[in-house]
Amino acid sequence: MSDELLVVRAQLGDRSALEELVARWQTPVWTYVRRMLDAQRADDVAQDAWLAIVRALPRLREPERFAPWLFTIVRRAVANHLRDRYASRTHQTVRDLDDLDPSDTLSDTALHDPIGGLLDRAEAVAHLADLPVPEREVLVLHYLEDLSVADCARVCDVSVGTVKSRLHRARRLLRERLEEKGMEA
Amino acid sequence: MTQEMPGVPAHEVVARLGPALSARARVRAVAMLVLGLAGAVFVTALWWTEPGPLPVRTQVGFALLSAVCLAWAGYGSWLLRRKVPLFAADQVVAAWIGLVASLATSALLVVVTVQRGAGPWAPLLVGAALTVVAATLLVRARRRRAALLRRERELTARDLETP
Repeated sequence: MSDELLVVRAQLGDRSALEELVARWQTPVWTYVRRMLDAQRADDVAQDAWLAIVRALPRLREPERFAPWLFTIVRRAVANHLRDRYASRTHQTVRDLDDLDPSDTLSDTALHDPIGGLLDRAEAVAHLADLPVPEREVLVLHYLEDLSVADCARVCDVSVGTVKSRLHRARRLLRERLEEKGMEA
Repeated sequence: MTQEMPGVPAHEVVARLGPALSARARVRAVAMLVLGLAGAVFVTALWWTEPGPLPVRTQVGFALLSAVCLAWAGYGSWLLRRKVPLFAADQVVAAWIGLVASLATSALLVVVTVQRGAGPWAPLLVGAALTVVAATLLVRARRRRAALLRRERELTARDLETP
């Protein structure tokens, strides 16, 4: 069954379709949150994101564009969480994910601790934590969540050109990190 | 490498969404909106049709009562916009409840104002406005549900055709 059909059924009030939609997208949503935050907070923020998704679902007018819509909401949940964290810690104003420092979103221990740090894809994933948030975000959306460049632009509320330049910079930074590690080894 | 997975299983995520998706939450929000609005209109009508000048304390009482009803209506409206998802079938049911409530409020308004010796035109106009709004919401909700049902049929047929 296609995502669009599931979304339409869920919008009609079919509870089982909604449950299947959650089951199908739970891991992608969690993966995005996990790449932006550490493991301790990923589950809670993903749950908050799901609550926001379910509350907004009746108002979704383009069910065929579910994925970018979904990640827009998840991104907002992550930004809200980080904004609250910043506010309680430093009273600094954070308007968007672009304003954040990498160390505030994903700590090294989150990716390297022996229990929680069982990483899924290539070794490169371990270096995501070192990337600046805007670059890390488009990298996760484009390569881990398989969103198109246009959908990434929509989710991040920036132009396609900006997404392309961030992807380019992210790839370059990642390559540099991997080369550094290779040279050390 | 082992793939890292969510700490909470999908069925647990759905279970935690239960309070937001419960029928009780939807009924409560719709009831707050409908009863709050109907109450505000009814109390205001009583206030305006009171024969003779009212003491200040009574006027304040009517104003407070209207404000309380409006506050409940506002809270119900906020719940429906932000907190409680109303899916297509729920929207149709809620719109029907709104239409019935607006007709009942209109009838009550006319009866009360006529009994108090005031003309029926003002309550009729207010009742008509309420009913038009409720009927518009009902038409929109039914159209939206029909469009979704049509799309569901198309997508189901497409899914069946796909090998």
